[in-house]
Amino acid sequence: MTYRVLLCDDEIPILRAAEFKIKKAGHEVRVASDGEEAWELIRERMPDILVTDCQMPRLDGLGLLRRLREHDETRHLPVLMLTAKGFELSAAELAERYNVLELIAKPFSPRYLLDTITRVLDGQTVET
Amino acid sequence: MLSAATFVLALGAVVACAAGLLVDDAGHWPWRAGAVLVGLVLAGAAVALLLSRFRRERGAIRRHLDVVGRLDPWTFNRDDVESVFPLLETHHPLHEAANRARARFLTLCEHLQDFEHAQAALEVRCRRVTAERDRIRAILTALEDPVLAIDQFDELLLANPSAEALFGFDAEAVESRALAHLVRCQNLIELLTTTSHREVSQSRSDEIEILRPGGESGWYRVTATKLGPEGDAAKPADSAAAASGVVAVFRDIAEKKVAQRRNAEFVSSVSHEMKTPLAGIKAYVELLADGEAEDQETRDEFLHVIDSQADRLQRLVENLLNLARMEAGVVKVDKKSRPLNEVLEEAMGVVRPAAEAKRIGLLADLSPMYLGVLADRDMLLQAAINLLSNAIKYTPDGGRVTLRSRMVDGGVRFEVEDSGVGLSEEDARRVFEKFYRVKKNKDMAPGTGLGLPLAKHIIEDVHGGSISVESMLGQGSTFAVTLPGSGQLS
Repeated sequence: MTYRVLLCDDEIPILRAAEFKIKKAGHEVRVASDGEEAWELIRERMPDILVTDCQMPRLDGLGLLRRLREHDETRHLPVLMLTAKGFELSAAELAERYNVLELIAKPFSPRYLLDTITRVLDGQTVET
Repeated sequence: MLSAATFVLALGAVVACAAGLLVDDAGHWPWRAGAVLVGLVLAGAAVALLLSRFRRERGAIRRHLDVVGRLDPWTFNRDDVESVFPLLETHHPLHEAANRARARFLTLCEHLQDFEHAQAALEVRCRRVTAERDRIRAILTALEDPVLAIDQFDELLLANPSAEALFGFDAEAVESRALAHLVRCQNLIELLTTTSHREVSQSRSDEIEILRPGGESGWYRVTATKLGPEGDAAKPADSAAAASGVVAVFRDIAEKKVAQRRNAEFVSSVSHEMKTPLAGIKAYVELLADGEAEDQETRDEFLHVIDSQADRLQRLVENLLNLARMEAGVVKVDKKSRPLNEVLEEAMGVVRPAAEAKRIGLLADLSPMYLGVLADRDMLLQAAINLLSNAIKYTPDGGRVTLRSRMVDGGVRFEVEDSGVGLSEEDARRVFEKFYRVKKNKDMAPGTGLGLPLAKHIIEDVHGGSISVESMLGQGSTFAVTLPGSGQLS
């Protein structure tokens, strides 16, 4: 099944690596380099899942999450967080406050990222 | 009792009277009458003598009593006693009584003297104790660290002015001296009371956050020591009770806490900066290993990314090491007379790609004169790069960064001016502190908070120059560096 994936990271090499892997698996991928740009792309067309970094210029990952959860149409958008931030962020807190499905720490495995995306979205498809 | 003269007179009177009255011869009545008359005269003389002596003695007693009555009970001494009670001869009728009284008074005199000596000694001791108390109070008052002591009933014994200010009470005027009433911090109360009620007199300390009367809180390391003569059996029980309780000394550890937080932020920042290139390397290695790159061009592209990410990681590690080495003083400094403009132009060349990526205009306004500077080329280049790349990082896309150089009195000066986000007064003051990053600009660009401290170290500590910043929030900043000149070369 083909999913629409939105990747958001200000580190271009990382963005390209993830995009390459996911696209190659047959999914549709769009990329944004900060939170504002991601928000624009989401408003334009709703993705099936958002994968976002935390530390970014203009609007950071947490700011984007807050904005997403404040709006009805994006409140339930599945989100994975991909970050190099260490002890300041806890997966449990992110899950509770922003309904982040998983916190993936950098350095990361593109293979694992793809597996997680398909696991999450396949699971949702089964549920519905 | 009777003197010899009185006795003779009385005897004469008796004999004369007896002769006049008892001789049975009527014919000689004039002689008899004369004898009786002589007897009566002698009797009168004896009585007069007795009365005079009685008066004399009564007068002496009254005088003595007057002297005793006028004696000052606080000053009478041995001489006074001896004058009031002269030593009487053994045959004197008052000899025994007077001498007994005299002996008693002399003993009293001795006791009084002993009492005076004891009183004088006590006064000296009192003065010494008062002076010692005043000295201890002055020392406690001079201490910047708050000091607080409580007794075994958990009531306030003393508090120096710093402690009074910290907890917002006046020790002389408080209604209740109960610790729980004066101090609102539960952790502190617990530390003091548990120390007080422990069997052993071991100091205990803890880091405690205390809310000041103004509403802001501060961190203190509180060391509580049990008072009292532990194991000193020689001291009386009363003294032991008076000295028991706890004394607490508060050391302000706000700076330590700030340093701890900044260090944690630094470690977090460094780990983030290291993880980002590592993430690139790991991701592309995995793509290559999984055979995702099907053509040579893609494989070359992936390898190029890995290479550039490895370079980035290396630069970061070198920056960290450079700062550590420079601070430890192990870097070899090679100072020579050099043209400042050459170093500045080289620095501009290094940062130009970063400026172009953000469409920032990088302008050079360098002095046409030769500006000689006695400097280590690599270090000065590093400082200039740090200042320029900092300006580019915090200038929004499409902005402007200008590098100027000119000659000033006794040296040379270069400035990096940007049209960036600018700094608040506090940020401008702290921007050269190691690990300090302007909070609201933190997410604007990656950084370790080491670039400006490193530049400051190179300019001021290595080259004896000075670095400063002038900034206006929202309008941009100008970093100015002044270095001692190395003279003009033709």
